Amino acid sequence: MRTITITSVPGYNEWRIASRECLAQSIPPENIIWQSSESIQDDLFGHTEEVMPAPKEQVKHSIPKSVLMLFKYALCHQDASRFALCYRVLWRVIFENKNLIQLKTDEDILQLNTLAKAVKRDAYKMSAFLRFREVALDGQEHFIAWYEPEHFSLEVKLDFFQTRFKNMRWSILTPYRAAHWDTEKLVLEDNPDPSVCPDEDRIEKYWLTYYTNIFNPARIKKSAMLSSMPKKYWKNMPETALIDDMIRNSDARARKMITDGNKR
Amino acid sequence: MHDKLIQKLEILSDAAKYDASCASGTAGKRKAGKTDKTGIGSLTGGTGICHSFTPDGRCVSLLKILMTNYCIYDCHYCINRVSSSVQRARFTVKETVELTLNFYKRNYIEGLFLSSGIVGSPDLTMESMVRIAKSLRIDHGFKGYIHLKTIPNASPELQAEAGLYADRLSINVEMPTQLSLNKYAPEKDLGAIHSSMNTLKDKIAEHKVDKTHTGKRPPRFAPGGQSTQMIIGADGSNDKVILGASVQLYSQQKLRRVYYSAFSPIPDASEVLPLKPAPLVREHRLYQADWLLRFYGFTLDEIVHDDMLDMDHDPKLAWALRNRHVFPIDLNKADKLMLLRVPGLGARTVQKILAIRRYTKLSWMDLTKMRLPLQKLKPFITVSDYSPAIHLLDGNNFELQFKQPKQFELFGA
Ligand code: SF4
Repeated sequence: MRTITITSVPGYNEWRIASRECLAQSIPPENIIWQSSESIQDDLFGHTEEVMPAPKEQVKHSIPKSVLMLFKYALCHQDASRFALCYRVLWRVIFENKNLIQLKTDEDILQLNTLAKAVKRDAYKMSAFLRFREVALDGQEHFIAWYEPEHFSLEVKLDFFQTRFKNMRWSILTPYRAAHWDTEKLVLEDNPDPSVCPDEDRIEKYWLTYYTNIFNPARIKKSAMLSSMPKKYWKNMPETALIDDMIRNSDARARKMITDGNKR
Repeated sequence: MHDKLIQKLEILSDAAKYDASCASGTAGKRKAGKTDKTGIGSLTGGTGICHSFTPDGRCVSLLKILMTNYCIYDCHYCINRVSSSVQRARFTVKETVELTLNFYKRNYIEGLFLSSGIVGSPDLTMESMVRIAKSLRIDHGFKGYIHLKTIPNASPELQAEAGLYADRLSINVEMPTQLSLNKYAPEKDLGAIHSSMNTLKDKIAEHKVDKTHTGKRPPRFAPGGQSTQMIIGADGSNDKVILGASVQLYSQQKLRRVYYSAFSPIPDASEVLPLKPAPLVREHRLYQADWLLRFYGFTLDEIVHDDMLDMDHDPKLAWALRNRHVFPIDLNKADKLMLLRVPGLGARTVQKILAIRRYTKLSWMDLTKMRLPLQKLKPFITVSDYSPAIHLLDGNNFELQFKQPKQFELFGA
């Protein structure tokens, strides 16, 4: 029995290195216990140096790219069983069926897809619902956001934010890690202090004005809104404070549109 | 605090909310280059991100505003028509540009969707709109999404210039027939709208080629194509006429999207309009039918049996109910087009089924694991270890099984 402890989050690199070693020694999945320690360290895709010595006999296993992509997403999930699951799938792809991933109803594949999908959704919501607030830092515009992803989604979306806001200075803070961008370099910081995020922003009142006026009070569809934007996301979205009032007043507003129309 | 800009924003976003085409479409990828030290924004390749949702269930993806709600025309269904007593406002070019950039930097939006009432003349209006788009692109290196609603009757030169900066251009046809336009939008001419669309279509096609004969890439021209909008239920046009107009727009003008907007009462409405809003379910059924026409291989006659769509069932289920002799369909054998016709199977599910089928036979258990709507599928399919009891497909009570159709099942699949 082999016990492997992953010490970082999400843990992709550690898992990759450990898995490679286990494969080289032909250790089957049922003989490995994967566990993760609580400690949190830097772990960015491809940014950490490899510390494990390369295994002696290098057997090259070619793993389809689509499988690796699934692993990348699935390994950003909170679920502690993700390491064991990914190794088991890796093992089965190599020794059992190289098209395993196509068997969408296989239990392991179902589970892998479920994890990957949850992370993708979580990461998408992060790119959608994160809100920057502006501060002046050393006399320059700096944008700060606090966001609480459900999984380790910051890692998934760093590319997106660096590309979209390349020439802006920004900091994204999550409960487990912050990313700071100064238009050229990315610096990561573990367990950041949420209090550096400002409480207000000079443009926010325009956004609130826009949000209240762009919706059509004659067509309330609260459940459609909630399924796309569940309440758990509301906390850090300033406009959501207006929703209850908007719904409460919608009837009166809609009726007014009609009675106004009847006056002529 | 009294703020003039807030007031303008109130008026000009309120006036824009009747437009249904809110989503940002796909327009390829774009980002600031390595050496670009000022540009901002990106297009990620897919459809735009929904940055928020309003209580009407709609996605907020773009800053959707009118440049102005002053208008010299008198379209009856429109809150901005010259004879309406609505409060008026106008954004300057600079205000619009700054609002867009400020919203974008805070991650509120994917870009700008700008339309406008007609001030002065169609050309003067169009010129200001183009200036806004140009300033965003050239002065600020804006790489986000821009959708311009072009002004009918503006000169072809201005329309062409708009295409250099915008990702998508649109002109609303508003009504499916000229007869209805005469009644509800007397200054508008369907022929002129179609000829504008034609000009843009040719331009878009011209710029689509990868390289010209000189070896240079042509500049981008509205890479997201054109879209349009029709108002539903203000005039008397039936669903067949409406969808017929759409089919023509898709095939002849190569439109990317036709939006349907159920007429909803507007303040200070003109008396030629109905007093009641059109049912939202009609709009929903039209979108579903439109979808089936474009991606599921259905023809217009198959989709609309009488002149109107069935409001109780989604159009695919309605077709299946009319054609029950073709069912049950064997999920292990049927070809793709046939699978797409099974109520309860979306395009993505069909892809999955085809992938699985290459390696193994589908059983009932597999369907459960794929979390398919089994109750709906039951009468229509067979798999290796299941076929429907004959009474499911037979008898006059067949339709009763579907008495309470779930909304949105088509897009959820
Ligand atoms: S031209 Fe446009 S803004 Fe003017 S009245 Fe007609 S629909 Fe309204």
